[in-house]
Amino acid sequence: MKALGARSAFYVGFVVGTCTLYVLLRQVGFTRDLGSRESEAYEKSLLEMVKEENKNWKKERLALFNLNHPHHTGEDGTLADTLYKHVRILCWVMTGPNNLEKKARHVKATWSRHCNIVVFISSVDDPDFPTVGLNTKEGRDQLYWKTIRAFHYVMDKYGDEADWFLKADDDTYVIVDNLRWILASHSPEDPVYFGRRFKPYAKQGYMSGGAGYVLSKEALRRFVEGFRTKVCTHTSSVEDLALGQCMEKVGVVAGDSRDTLQRETFHPFEPESHLTGTFSKTFWYWNYCYYPIVQGPQCCSDLAVSFHYVNPSLMYLLEYYTYHLRAFGYKYRYQPSEPNVIQDFNAPAPGKVEIGDIEEKLGVEEQEGEKKSPRT
Amino acid sequence: YLQVQFFFEHLTPQVIVYMSLSVSKLNSNILIAENRRAAPEFSQKVRVLCWVMTQPKHLKSRTQHIRATWGKRCNIVLYMSSEVSDFPTVGLNVSEGRSQLYWKTIRAFQHIHTHHLDDADWFLKADDDTFVVLENLRYGLSKHNAEEPQYFGRRFTPFIAQGYMSGGAGYVLSKEALRRFVKGFADGLCTHNTETEDVGLGKCMETMKVQMGDSRDVLGRQTFHPYPPDYYLPRQTPRPRPWYLIYEHYQPVEGPGCCSDLAISFHYIDAVQMHTLEYYTYHLRPYGYKYRFKLTTLLSKTLIALALETQWFTRKALVNPNLGCHSFKEERTSVCLIVMCLRIDGKSSFPNI
Repeated sequence: MKALGARSAFYVGFVVGTCTLYVLLRQVGFTRDLGSRESEAYEKSLLEMVKEENKNWKKERLALFNLNHPHHTGEDGTLADTLYKHVRILCWVMTGPNNLEKKARHVKATWSRHCNIVVFISSVDDPDFPTVGLNTKEGRDQLYWKTIRAFHYVMDKYGDEADWFLKADDDTYVIVDNLRWILASHSPEDPVYFGRRFKPYAKQGYMSGGAGYVLSKEALRRFVEGFRTKVCTHTSSVEDLALGQCMEKVGVVAGDSRDTLQRETFHPFEPESHLTGTFSKTFWYWNYCYYPIVQGPQCCSDLAVSFHYVNPSLMYLLEYYTYHLRAFGYKYRYQPSEPNVIQDFNAPAPGKVEIGDIEEKLGVEEQEGEKKSPRT
Repeated sequence: YLQVQFFFEHLTPQVIVYMSLSVSKLNSNILIAENRRAAPEFSQKVRVLCWVMTQPKHLKSRTQHIRATWGKRCNIVLYMSSEVSDFPTVGLNVSEGRSQLYWKTIRAFQHIHTHHLDDADWFLKADDDTFVVLENLRYGLSKHNAEEPQYFGRRFTPFIAQGYMSGGAGYVLSKEALRRFVKGFADGLCTHNTETEDVGLGKCMETMKVQMGDSRDVLGRQTFHPYPPDYYLPRQTPRPRPWYLIYEHYQPVEGPGCCSDLAISFHYIDAVQMHTLEYYTYHLRPYGYKYRFKLTTLLSKTLIALALETQWFTRKALVNPNLGCHSFKEERTSVCLIVMCLRIDGKSSFPNI
């Protein structure tokens, strides 16, 4: 009799204890059961995400054509939009079949959305992603072959649809709107190319491959012509140096991509290294940079264009930092004047005044006022 | 359309001002004019005292980077430690260690209440590894009254009925909330009942009937963050809450859409990240975008368009930097624009002005 009583007391106690614990935890909010109802909701939201994104792109001929600019609502993007129409940039991204999932799709989801046209260059055609295969193999020794074939390919297929042709890696982050600012005061008919300028091995220097470089249409024509006339050949697999030497041979000028305060815009490392790192005196970087190196906060322009060695997570962070995070009401100290090329397009038609116009003129006139009386 | 034109041609300035005021009351979500002068204006209207919880060991490795980056943007910044120093730090009557955190918080707020109660309207607590964007904090607080008992931060649900604010993400007390906190301890209603300072403070706030504020922006995105940005921003496929989002009061969003453009704080930020975040917030930007207020009703837009067409003002009037947006008590954007309409340099076509 006693044993039975003890056992049932145990069971009752156990049940009471479990219920109490459950109620207490519930109070605290710890139970998160994933019922089938919730997982359906997750699947639905994933499909919606994908559908939303596909609206902004037209997949055609193994490239992505941007349908939607500017990319942010609630802001006055008229200046960025004008630049978008007049400085058309084709971005081609050097990647490979093994990196599509790991790296290239994050490029597709972040900065490449701001290009006019995007082409992913791989060794294999993939109409879904989409990537272009150019009859090369994978590997570091194939880099210059890929570059040569990529530039020939974009010249052939998209030569008329863009003015500037940017090469980037799948671990490069590019702020395309700032690139348009730099390029707006140059003509695509000039034989010039821009990037992070290195000095050795070539008289006028060459542009770092990792930091990305951009060729004008004339520069691209001369590159392709150089290969046709055998002035340029596949000299080495060091893609950036070999391209720089070819550029020199065909008379393309290595441009200065620094901003109006002589701060670099293309960066061969990620932001942390430039902003807070000190490079050791024996580091190769000191001997390579064409212009004087600045370490610390003045290393990098406010209107920086590119960073290298950017992992996928940092891609999303940089997208947020560049296009979203800001201090409310803060007046940026660096206020460069608008590029010369586009000032004509901004003049309003006489008699027709739009709200957006007033704000812009207000901005321009305020800046001019401040130039006369500099603020400390 | 002709009828509307007739109507507007006969509008007197008084009518316009009245109409715009009533319009603006409908649009309580209009961003206050994010013009270039907003930041200095706000710093006097919304005064924030920041206190940073730190210790002697961390002054060089952490706190000096706060002093070099966001510390100077507070109206007053106090570095609370266990020892006085030339940093300068305030010496509280506590020892160091995780078990002393709530004592530090209590003593810090008591110190502030004694010495600085009238020097600020809002009182922010931050850790020495928290990065704070003061301008966005002021903007968020500008819509609230510092004489009401409320406090803002990242709301967590467990342990307290009304919830509590995450300590690491930083939280900000209104003046009345600070008074009540100190009074609670003076009267014995609040005690040192735990070592976990955020939970302890949350319990005291509940006891003293201080409201929990909602610090999310108009789109429902979070502004205070108890972890660094890389926990929230990278895109994820939809999934159940990871461990660091379990305490969340509001339904968390992962990936882009988690974090407000006008984010206020991030936590677990080391020295390198402090300076990088400073660059990202105050320097790096895409060229060609201008941030400005957006009038959201058709009527406001019509008013402005018609004002432009009937040429009731000149460009010069618009550009005048002394225009009275900030001289008005009601800082509503539509009123500001109508003032611009009325200022014609000397030549008034309104008989009543």
